[in-house]
Amino acid sequence: MSLVAGFPGSGSASLIVSEGLSKVYGEHHALRDLTLEVRRGEVFGLLGPNGSGKTTTIRLWLGLMRPTRGKATVFGFDCWRGGLEVRRLVSYLPGELRMPGSLTGLGVLRFLSGLRGGEGLDRAEAIAERVMKLDLGRKVRKYSTGMKQKLALAQAFADPVDVLILDEPTSALDPSARHDVLNLVREARDVGQTVVFSGHVLSEVEAVCDRVAILRRGRLVHVEDMHARRHLRMVMARFDGEPPAPPEELELTLRRMHGPAFLWEHRGELAPLLRWLADVPTADLAIGTEDLHALYDQYHGPDADDDEEDPAR
Amino acid sequence: MKAFWTLVAKNLHDARWSLFLTSSLLGFLGWLLVHVASLQETKIRQALAGSGKGFRWMQGMGLDADPPSVEIMMAFWNHPFIILLAAMFALGRGAGAVGAEIERGTLDMVMSRPVSRSTYLAAHALTTALGLLAIAASLAVGAYAATFYNVLKSPPSLGLLMEPALNLAALAWPMYGYTLWFSSMDIVRWRALTAGSALTLAGFIARVIAMIPVFKDSWWRPWAERASLFTLYDPVGAVAGRGHCERDMAILLALGAGFVALAFLVFAHRDLPANS
Repeated sequence: MSLVAGFPGSGSASLIVSEGLSKVYGEHHALRDLTLEVRRGEVFGLLGPNGSGKTTTIRLWLGLMRPTRGKATVFGFDCWRGGLEVRRLVSYLPGELRMPGSLTGLGVLRFLSGLRGGEGLDRAEAIAERVMKLDLGRKVRKYSTGMKQKLALAQAFADPVDVLILDEPTSALDPSARHDVLNLVREARDVGQTVVFSGHVLSEVEAVCDRVAILRRGRLVHVEDMHARRHLRMVMARFDGEPPAPPEELELTLRRMHGPAFLWEHRGELAPLLRWLADVPTADLAIGTEDLHALYDQYHGPDADDDEEDPAR
Repeated sequence: MKAFWTLVAKNLHDARWSLFLTSSLLGFLGWLLVHVASLQETKIRQALAGSGKGFRWMQGMGLDADPPSVEIMMAFWNHPFIILLAAMFALGRGAGAVGAEIERGTLDMVMSRPVSRSTYLAAHALTTALGLLAIAASLAVGAYAATFYNVLKSPPSLGLLMEPALNLAALAWPMYGYTLWFSSMDIVRWRALTAGSALTLAGFIARVIAMIPVFKDSWWRPWAERASLFTLYDPVGAVAGRGHCERDMAILLALGAGFVALAFLVFAHRDLPANS
């Protein structure tokens, strides 16, 4: 599948590199100092509410917009100056999809693959008909929004590229089609493609992503390793009397404390933790996991800090 | 090159109805004006032989005493309907190139593929040039076909009719060029279309004012004439061998190419925002 052997960044583990990437429109900072790397072969999630800078980031990576400051490279190609080379190696599914209604489904696939030198048409037809169950003989104007999205997804997954950038790929899909798309994302990763998955449905991002970046008002506020997160336990304990200090080797990180009650993050072995808890005066104990929603809410929930405001936002 | 021809094919597909309607109407007008010329040829010759109001009007159209039939036909090709049809096609194509595609959201679909911005605009410009040639040819063919069904003193050849038809296509080319330029820097269709239409209308008005006899000796008259593209469209001169048809067409084509080059420059350096 790899098309990039011999290209400038083909030997590097980081495939997309952003260094201080910023985009400013007059007084409005759409993206501020984004420094980030997407590694080869991973599914990388971009999270954030509308206006947080996800689509701006993607458009800068594709060379559709010129950065105000900083730079981004894909396979070592500068995204603005080498946008054509970047787009040769990347397939993009736009978030707000519009298609020429006068063409049939097959006509759209032919057109899109024609723009890539005619590559991937057979596979796109196969995905559209067999996986997405589309009637390619119908005019696109008679397709529902979800059907149009399926058609574009079929083309995106069929393109012989190393990187897929999917901007809200499941937003208009029914639950079974969402399931199919997540499977296609996993298949893409299995054959070595790198996928950037921007979305709002946290359960989907959690299900497929290896790492997740959370954006807020154009700033990168957090990057989470989802494999590490899947080993994360939340330990809530209340103690009788003086609360004990946990030993360092237990790898407990204090999240919150309220009187004698503690909430810790725990990523280590469970047995030593349980032994320690048995030795100290524990009055109450709960151990659970934490989904991505809780992490997201730290930055975008109702209790999130709002102290980063500045007049040039 | 595959991407370029894919875009040309798609553009022709998109333009098919406007191209069909414009060509059909111009073909029909070409026929109709031959029919009118056939019916009026005797009267026109009588008017040209006299010295009244009708004579002055005919002279204004570029006709001399006892002109060949084709010159009488060509006087009708100055009719605003003919110019309007070619202008509408050109302005519509120019305004639809970038601003309208951003507005509709369809530009993302193309520009996120491995297509350079120059390839995108070159395919658009080629499609428009082919379209303008097609509508010019339909005007000439419509008029030529009519010569078999209408009596004219000296029916013209198709080759002779093609010269003023190409002059019309050349006139529309800079209109496309400046509207494309406006469209290349915008995100909506209406602004480019309004600006292009206003510029075209201003040129037409400048030409009309320059032709009003009362302003014949005004100091600004030559400037108004030179400022108008329409001065370079002279169908009677094209068939009569008078005037500077080749030079005028070269100026029109060069002007159009200049505006298209400006559009390339603007489009290559601008941001392509999402349509939302």
